[in-house]
Amino acid sequence: MDEEQDKAYTWEGDYERTWEAIKEDEQGSLQSTVDDIIHRAKRRRFLDRPVNVRLGMMRHLFIILDMSKSMEEKDLKPTRLHSTIKLIESFIEEYYDQNPISQLGIITTSNMRAEKLTDLGGNPRRHINTLKKCKDKVCLKEPSLQNSLELALTSLRHMPGHASREVLIIMGSLTTCDPDNIHQTIDTMKSNNIRCSVIGLAAEVRICKKLCNVTNGTYGVILDETHYKELLMEHTLPPPATVNSESSLIKMGFPKHQIHTDKPAICVCHLDSKTSEGFGLGGYFCPQCHSKYCELPIECKCCGLTLVSAPHLARSFHHLFPLDEFTEISTTSLDESYSSYCEACQGRLSGQVVYLCPRCDKVFCLECEMFIQEALHSCPGCASTRPKQVRTS
Amino acid sequence: MKLNVDGLLVYFPYDYIYPEQFTYMLELKRSIDAKGHCVLEMPSGTGKTVSLLSLIVAYLRTNPVDVTKLVYCSRTVPELEKVIEELKALMKYYEQELGEQPTILGLALSSRKNLCIHPRVSKEPTGKEVDAGCQGLTASYIRTKHHYDSSIPLCSYFEAFDDNGRDAPIDPGVYNLDDLKDIGQERGWCPYFLARYTIMHANIVVYSYHYLLDPKIAELVSKDLPKTSVVVFDEAHNIDNVCIDSLSVNITRRTLDRGEGNLEYLKGSIERIKEVDENKLKREYQRLVEGLRLANEERETEAQLANPVLPDEILQEAVPGNIRNAEHFLNFLKRFLEYLKTRLRVQHVVQESPPSFLRDVYTKVCIERKPLRFCYERLHSLLRTLELNTAQDLSPLSLIANFATLVSTYGKGFTLIIEPFDDRAPTIPNPVLHFRCMDASVAIKPVFDRFQTVIITSGTLSPLDMYPKILDFRPVTMASFTMTLARTCICPLIVGRGNDQVTMTSKFETRQDIAVIRNYGNLLVDLTSIVPDGIVCFFTSYVYMETIVSKWYEQGIIDNVQKNKLLFIETQDTAETSVALHNYQKACENGRGAVLLSVARGKVSEGIDFDHHYGRAVVMFGVPYVYTQSRMLRARLEFLRDQYQIRENDFLTFDAMRHAAQCVGRAMRGKTDYGIMVFADKRFGRADKRGKLPKWIQEYLKDSVCNLTTDEAVQVSKKFLRQMAQPFKKEDQLGLSLLTLEQLETEEMQKRVERTAHVL
Repeated sequence: MDEEQDKAYTWEGDYERTWEAIKEDEQGSLQSTVDDIIHRAKRRRFLDRPVNVRLGMMRHLFIILDMSKSMEEKDLKPTRLHSTIKLIESFIEEYYDQNPISQLGIITTSNMRAEKLTDLGGNPRRHINTLKKCKDKVCLKEPSLQNSLELALTSLRHMPGHASREVLIIMGSLTTCDPDNIHQTIDTMKSNNIRCSVIGLAAEVRICKKLCNVTNGTYGVILDETHYKELLMEHTLPPPATVNSESSLIKMGFPKHQIHTDKPAICVCHLDSKTSEGFGLGGYFCPQCHSKYCELPIECKCCGLTLVSAPHLARSFHHLFPLDEFTEISTTSLDESYSSYCEACQGRLSGQVVYLCPRCDKVFCLECEMFIQEALHSCPGCASTRPKQVRTS
Repeated sequence: MKLNVDGLLVYFPYDYIYPEQFTYMLELKRSIDAKGHCVLEMPSGTGKTVSLLSLIVAYLRTNPVDVTKLVYCSRTVPELEKVIEELKALMKYYEQELGEQPTILGLALSSRKNLCIHPRVSKEPTGKEVDAGCQGLTASYIRTKHHYDSSIPLCSYFEAFDDNGRDAPIDPGVYNLDDLKDIGQERGWCPYFLARYTIMHANIVVYSYHYLLDPKIAELVSKDLPKTSVVVFDEAHNIDNVCIDSLSVNITRRTLDRGEGNLEYLKGSIERIKEVDENKLKREYQRLVEGLRLANEERETEAQLANPVLPDEILQEAVPGNIRNAEHFLNFLKRFLEYLKTRLRVQHVVQESPPSFLRDVYTKVCIERKPLRFCYERLHSLLRTLELNTAQDLSPLSLIANFATLVSTYGKGFTLIIEPFDDRAPTIPNPVLHFRCMDASVAIKPVFDRFQTVIITSGTLSPLDMYPKILDFRPVTMASFTMTLARTCICPLIVGRGNDQVTMTSKFETRQDIAVIRNYGNLLVDLTSIVPDGIVCFFTSYVYMETIVSKWYEQGIIDNVQKNKLLFIETQDTAETSVALHNYQKACENGRGAVLLSVARGKVSEGIDFDHHYGRAVVMFGVPYVYTQSRMLRARLEFLRDQYQIRENDFLTFDAMRHAAQCVGRAMRGKTDYGIMVFADKRFGRADKRGKLPKWIQEYLKDSVCNLTTDEAVQVSKKFLRQMAQPFKKEDQLGLSLLTLEQLETEEMQKRVERTAHVL
């Protein structure tokens, strides 16, 4: 096949049997069984979420993005790469939203090499901007799993012991082209306590599965774009801390945004850059050494103090004290004393099942329950009623 | 768990059971009850072995009079070891449940090569040399000689066994080859002879087919097995070929030359022995006059398995006068050998029946039929008398004597073909005399006649009714079991057209067509880009593979494949192939991915499993018909048509489809495994071919996936792979394809379980 044939138009290249997605499930056909399994897995994931488990709250995550030839495939629209970049952008925002005191970096791999796109850092905008530039890069040859893992390792190795070290690999290719024995690299990842997870875009690859199993990560293969998003968003939740990660008290600084009126200065994070970015009057000043920074959270480059803002810290609180699981009750068995309207949206309860908050005893519909559990993290029923006076002494 | 199989209490060593395992045991029990033979097909990876063992062991324990022994025959040593492992697990479960060890003795038997612990002999590289080395130390005349001259070395292990071994049988338990070796080391006994002796009173014997089917070995090892044994042939889809091979002889000019050398050597030995001890030869003569009557007596009491090489009549008669004398016999053999030499000097192919061959022998060199029949026995008697140390390899002469006996014994079901050259190299004269058995039932008949229950089982036996026909027996049960699955983990596809709509087929007329070859290539390229890890491809023959690969190379297809995966090729060289296989597995293991090109009926297609990532897809390029121009095959087809009313085409299709099923079945080794099976030939879609695939594949071969184009196949596979990659746990299987005892006993489940069997 020559070059021209490779670049077929959408209507030539992809032949989709869309009618096959609709299937009767009476005969126990493939579609429904697999859907069923996925749905059950999703519920289980929710239920299994451990309570009162130490979580690795300070996350250091490297996203390894496959930029090999296979990312040009058009099974995701418009291409795998474009779709992935778009999803990662929203992932980055969500990630910082959920894990405010965490850091993230991006590595790309193509042509059997790995390249660091952005270093670990706490600024979502920086990552997103660099990522956007990737859209126009050419995808070349095979990826190299080993090279990219090694590259991530060089940075993650130096992270403090209490931080959770993670790698998330987005893998479009079904092969990896490595210079050396990859099994050794996997063992090194394990001994360095780095959790590696993989999202495959095409099929299950043995080595990825092994990598995930050994390092306690998760392995998912996407079915379609929605499933892709789900798999990706799962990684925004902080993972349970591994047994051998240290726990230690961390000294933190809480700088306020201040504007010095006397003289403008360049911030420490942009000292090396040649642009005028970061030059100005305002910024965050380290309470210990008074270096200036333009973004939080960050580790002070001069004195090593972790700088965060108080709201950041508060936002990551709900992971530690998750909302109680709502109990599932079928509508028919609900007795008279309960309202027939959803406490949250005030809509009439129409579904097969309703959910009951164990604390305030209010009923919710499925949609609201999902929203409360996934986004709100606090029960509107409990918030609006006065808690019963419980004397603790 | 403890199961109630039709009134029989069966201990099953696992907490969960597949529904089809239960039905399998049910059918098995029915046949043992009826004391009849049966043919059972159950997909590999669904626990055939453990079901067989649990049921038969339970039967042995509850009806110790009806069934006394289980003889389990399999193909290779690793397979034997697997059976023993399962048996060990079962015994452990018994022990745990009963609180005491059950009094069951089970063991594996293999060749000396795998069992010898003699410090020098066991180091020999080949099986033949180990055998020779062992015989040189343990043969009876060597031991007698040792009596007079203690400088002649003996095997201390054998001596120790001979002194004490027979009096102190080994404890009940299950022994694999290594366990036997350990016992041997510990007690200083020879493990091989210990095992050979122990199988007589063991309850369960696990060994290779050949110990029952090859008449020469069967006579030594298996002749004393009781009639009340249950014989199992596992992986028996090729059993007819094993039977045929065990009774066929090929003689080349080289064999004859070496046979001549053997004769000279024997002549020399006779001269020598005459000088030393003439009486010895006289005694032998006397013995031969009395005939083989002794052997005959044993047979009448049904104490031994009939040996097909040695038919009844021979035993009743004395050895004919003209070959009783050792020198006369040698001259006789020499004449026969010279005759064979003249026969090999042909310019064209000769095919004749044994009677016409015998007539020709008679007219040309005046050799009658009768003495010929005794050749094999007479030669062995001579070798015993001469007490030769086996430095000289006498196998060529032995082969010729074997041929003489066979050709004069069997008038029907055999044919003789003399080819002046190999078909592949018609310019090089290389005459071969093929003496070919046409009738698979000859070798296996004694087994069916003797044992009350013979079970033929495999993952691919379809169509079931063919086996009773070609092996000439009447089974009481024939059943095929499907695989109950919690998710559809088999994806069979028939790809009949390329993207350009040109029909894909390996039909003889179009197989060289450039468009067909290109389409095959594009199919492979497309598959390599969507299938992870390993892909195994099967071609119909080495020749076809070579032409296709060279064409692919010209068309640039090989380059495109190598962009996605590494490429390995099976060759006729065993060492080369095993290196290729090793590297193929390595490439699958570390994520590079690989393609293995191999040949149906080759080594790879039979013995090697490509489970999980080693074979995510199997591609069958073309229908693997056997080489139909071969004269041996033509003769066999003719025979089958005349004798068993099997039409040529039926047999050819049957043979092709069982090999195709065997090839694609390599990729599916269990319920957690998954794989794509691509049948790349339009002809697979026809009813006569489709209908001959095993039930468990046919079930998923819907009309919508027959006759796809490459594109469509790729789309279906993509979707399938994504779905199979979703997490799949044991809980998902429970209650559907994996049952606990309670679930099994529910009424609804019993009904569903019944449905897994297709009884004919």
